[in-house]
Amino acid sequence: MPGPSAPLLVEARGLTKRFGGIVAVHALEFAVRPGELVGLIGPNGSGKTTTINMLTGHLKPAGGEIYVRGRRADGLAASAFAALRVGRTFQITQLFSRMSVLENMLVPGLARPHSTRPAVTRAARQHLEFLGLAALEKLQAKNLSGGQQKLLELGRALMLDPDILFLDEPFAGVNPFLRDEIIALVRKLHAQGRTFVIVDHDIQALQRLVLRLVVMSRGQKIADGPVAEVRENQEVLRAYAGI
Amino acid sequence: MRALSWCGGLALAASVLAFPFLVNAYWLSVGVLAMFYAIVTASWALLAGYAGQFSFGHMAFVSLGAYTSGLLVKWFDIPVPLGMAAGVVVCAVVGSGVGFVGLRMRGPYLALFTVAFSEVLRIIFVSEVEITGGSGGLEVTPLFHTRSDMPSYYLGVVLLAASLAVMLALVASRWGLFFRAIRENEDAAAAGGVKVMRFRVLAFAIASAFAGLGGGYFGHYIGILTPDIGSVDQMGLVVAMAVIGGAESIIAATIGALGLEFLVEALRSYGQWRLVLFGALLLLTMRFARNGLLALAWEQVRRVDRMRTSRRAREVGE
Repeated sequence: MPGPSAPLLVEARGLTKRFGGIVAVHALEFAVRPGELVGLIGPNGSGKTTTINMLTGHLKPAGGEIYVRGRRADGLAASAFAALRVGRTFQITQLFSRMSVLENMLVPGLARPHSTRPAVTRAARQHLEFLGLAALEKLQAKNLSGGQQKLLELGRALMLDPDILFLDEPFAGVNPFLRDEIIALVRKLHAQGRTFVIVDHDIQALQRLVLRLVVMSRGQKIADGPVAEVRENQEVLRAYAGI
Repeated sequence: MRALSWCGGLALAASVLAFPFLVNAYWLSVGVLAMFYAIVTASWALLAGYAGQFSFGHMAFVSLGAYTSGLLVKWFDIPVPLGMAAGVVVCAVVGSGVGFVGLRMRGPYLALFTVAFSEVLRIIFVSEVEITGGSGGLEVTPLFHTRSDMPSYYLGVVLLAASLAVMLALVASRWGLFFRAIRENEDAAAAGGVKVMRFRVLAFAIASAFAGLGGGYFGHYIGILTPDIGSVDQMGLVVAMAVIGGAESIIAATIGALGLEFLVEALRSYGQWRLVLFGALLLLTMRFARNGLLALAWEQVRRVDRMRTSRRAREVGE
């Protein structure tokens, strides 16, 4: 785990989001350093997805500030976050369904300035090889299995060459075999130097993978620290299991 | 299959070029109108089929391009091509404005918004009698001072070929990929770094510019402009042409426009019943061939080709 003196990759200060009269996220303080593998957990409706939607530009915060590598980023469009090499996947897999697997991969690559089609195609094929999807590159994305779609979405995020990847519920609705495959891929990518924030409500799956857990409940952060420490936190146990 | 595509393309190109020598003056004028509808339908396919923006105001840009060119040529005595170019620019600018205002709208909301824009523009053309001639029409300088439609026809062929070349290059480029990505999933496109707003507005501006080009060509060919060019009826015809041909392919939409325009004229003696026939054809296409009849036909050809190839492979194996 990087030391506390390492520069921050993504930082949220007092992040707040309201939907009408409901406060989905309230004054959230959250920071990720390069090389971290963070789990963001909490019961359903605790504000996890809203938080990463704000941290990736898909939702505008009602209050607070977001910094990416020290640069103020709240209010920027999602495409600008992507340009800052902030990648993400979605809770419900979002693909370009009627485009081929390869075309899905080309979009983020070609959206980067000064990219060329041959170089992007080469990179896309390398990532597809890494994900075990190389043989399917001509298939329309909608014809992939659910698990393959999850992997393609991860591959598409990798095409941004992201410094940080937010994965929103990567284990939801996947079989145990694929869950292990995703865990292995994340470990490999983390070993290569990528930073991850993985959102899930399944603490069992996350504690196998992450080094640090951030727990949210009712829009607020209630715990943040090493997995073992957070697991014993009474407030977490109360919020999570009603213990 | 590639050879078949080339042969089909060459046969189509040859028949388009030879057409004026094979038909009488009436059918030649139908050919001119077919070129106009092909340009407009192909550009609507670019906007709706590729970029996923279902605009019902495309014919409004046709009328805007036609009136802009007609009025500028009349007022300032500029050459017709310059007037048409001005129409294209005005349509691109207004199109980007409409695209920008409609950015937050999708599907039926965008369609209704563009219908409203189309009606507002039509009513302005009807009301501003001193400028546009209102419903009585505006006399416009003709394209060519000849009795034959042949020069207008070949100009239409050139404009259509140039428009198709630009549109096909566009859809093959990274912009075309971004248009399709936005059509498929805006959130995913934005997460992939695509500037969604910019490309939605760009698609609107480009498609509107081609509609303006079609409008200028049509106006100077017909010689008199009435606000009805931009009517919802006309828009319905363009949508039918694109959907029956195949809205997600510029070539299929173009062939749909050419085919349907000739079919409409060939069945003129059936009066209103031909419209019933087109309605039924449109319904059947949307129900059984959502990518258009040409895509369906092409898929059948490819299936036969695949069967032949596998049979040949089996024979070689034995």
